[in-house]
Amino acid sequence: MDLQTREDLLKLFQTKLNRAMVYYLETCTRCGVCTTACHVYQSMPQARYIAAYRAEIVRRIYKKYFKGQGKVWPAYGEAKELTEAALQELYDAAYSCTGCRRCMVYCPFGIDTQMIMSIAKLLLVGAHAEPEILTLLADTSIEKGRSLEFFKEGFLQGVKNLEQKVLEKWKMEAEGKTVIPVDVEGADLLYVALAGAHSIIPAAAVFNAAGENWTLSFFEAVNFGAFVGDPTRTKLILDRIVNEALRLKVKEVCICECGTAYRVMKQLSGTQPFKVSSVTEVHARYLREGRIRVSKEAFRGQAVTYHDPCQIARNGGILEEPRFILQHLTDDYREMAPDPRYNYCCGGGGGLVALGEDTLDFRMKSARVKAEQVQRTKATLLATACENCHTQLSDLNRHYGLGVNVQFLTSMVADALVVS
Amino acid sequence: MQTAYYLILVPMVYAAFAVFVLGTAVRLIQTARRPPHPTTLQIFPKKEPAWLYAVADTFLMPSVLRHTPVLWFFLAVFHLAVLLLIIGHLELFGDWAVFQVVPHEVFLGRGFVGLAAAVSLLYLLVRRFHAPVRDLSVPEDYYLLILLFLTVIFGSQMDWARRWYDYDVMGVGAYRAYLWSLVTFKPFVPDEILYSGHAFMLVLHVFFANLFLMVFPFTKMMHTFLALPMNLLKRG
Repeated sequence: MDLQTREDLLKLFQTKLNRAMVYYLETCTRCGVCTTACHVYQSMPQARYIAAYRAEIVRRIYKKYFKGQGKVWPAYGEAKELTEAALQELYDAAYSCTGCRRCMVYCPFGIDTQMIMSIAKLLLVGAHAEPEILTLLADTSIEKGRSLEFFKEGFLQGVKNLEQKVLEKWKMEAEGKTVIPVDVEGADLLYVALAGAHSIIPAAAVFNAAGENWTLSFFEAVNFGAFVGDPTRTKLILDRIVNEALRLKVKEVCICECGTAYRVMKQLSGTQPFKVSSVTEVHARYLREGRIRVSKEAFRGQAVTYHDPCQIARNGGILEEPRFILQHLTDDYREMAPDPRYNYCCGGGGGLVALGEDTLDFRMKSARVKAEQVQRTKATLLATACENCHTQLSDLNRHYGLGVNVQFLTSMVADALVVS
Repeated sequence: MQTAYYLILVPMVYAAFAVFVLGTAVRLIQTARRPPHPTTLQIFPKKEPAWLYAVADTFLMPSVLRHTPVLWFFLAVFHLAVLLLIIGHLELFGDWAVFQVVPHEVFLGRGFVGLAAAVSLLYLLVRRFHAPVRDLSVPEDYYLLILLFLTVIFGSQMDWARRWYDYDVMGVGAYRAYLWSLVTFKPFVPDEILYSGHAFMLVLHVFFANLFLMVFPFTKMMHTFLALPMNLLKRG
């Protein structure tokens, strides 16, 4: 690595050193309490999968360049130079961590390993050593925000096709209303979906059944910038939606079943004139207010369990709502972990699912404990509220022969709708 | 030899305290002046009052108790012993009514507090030599434990000598005279300390304690001050 590259990377490192990050980097006592926290370590007990070990890979570089200790006596804390080999180590640490923050519950200080890994990810972006596909996807999202006109016609045509499906399945009367409204100024709720019919059709059915004054966003919710750990891209992707919400003067932005999108929107969008909710929260609200009715018939005879997506539950706070919804859908609900803070990650977070086949082998091996957790419930239907989790859990279902039916919670609500 | 003793007992103590106090203050202020993290870092479900849970997390270490109970036991013993040892040392400066609520002879705990600290430090050290903690450890972790162990063992020796073996040359009176002379910047080491047979123990105790204080601000020992703010972040 030449001097200039290292300089540039260290400047990137410097930008991450806010107060919380310095706490995390200064404090770890390497007590090892986090050892069994990580699902990867639980599935494959190797030291490199311990949260403290991953964090130490970043910390060693911090000691070398940002701490007197590493300059005066590098061996004391095993301070390490930033080299090509170090970048490879950073890659291995960051892309075997799903950012689920289960270790943060174990740590007596509450060190956030995901946040420390964000340094590793940023350095990889700076060195052009990140998984290219994630940056490519992020750039596509950003480009779409810049040249919306170019995409608009195709998008609207796609939506028209979906409307037919909604009408067929739920036999709703259109009553002269648009089934999937787009670009409606003054709508109450802006729904941000994913690029996929499964993310739009059931949601539309529920919004219409509830008589919601809603509009569909032009943009997909997923934030590849966050996966790849690039704050600039993350912000650009987020801003597309924020600007759309401001332009349409909506009161609420509702994020589809995507953990990253929800957490980024909820926690990173700052103070805005609209509130941010997850589609799970919105559905629970409809049920509570009696705006929609559901029947338990659709899932009669099924034992149902629910996988808490880390970014929505442990890191986003949406814990009661999915359980409230499931109470209305089934009489046979089974908890996966006694304390939802301790729920295992599906093993697909942090961009791993987005990397597809490349990470499949690792995802299957590293999530063995998740598969076992599902198995222990003896459930036949596995519900979740996150696209990544759904993909990963479906892969696990195949790989481990779990024999469960993996479902999105929104789809379940839509399927159980009682349309009067 | 007496000159070396004097250097350790007087100038080095001043230097150690200066490094400790200034180093810690500067490092804490530098950290506090950094920009805060823009988003919440909390873990859900949120429990109220969050600050109380953060205090409990910091001082009772419930997650350690839950996942590694044996470690929790020794950590609790060690940290409690350190607290009592600090009180014991404060009493070497003079009489404190508040500490004499439970009447006792200085040092607190009849020598067993130091013993408890030494045993728990040995446990922490031995634990580091076994996987998986061994794989996580860096030299710092061993150095600090060894340094603390040496400090505690030589310090406790003096207590044990008086308590358990009726050694009475160096007593609390001598320590008070010595420590007050340091506080009032009229440094003076009483002859009974400088020339007694056990002087080397005191000198070694002070020497290792000085080293410890001097590295404190630049090592993971900063967890002493950062544990609470970090748990506050986690609790939201």
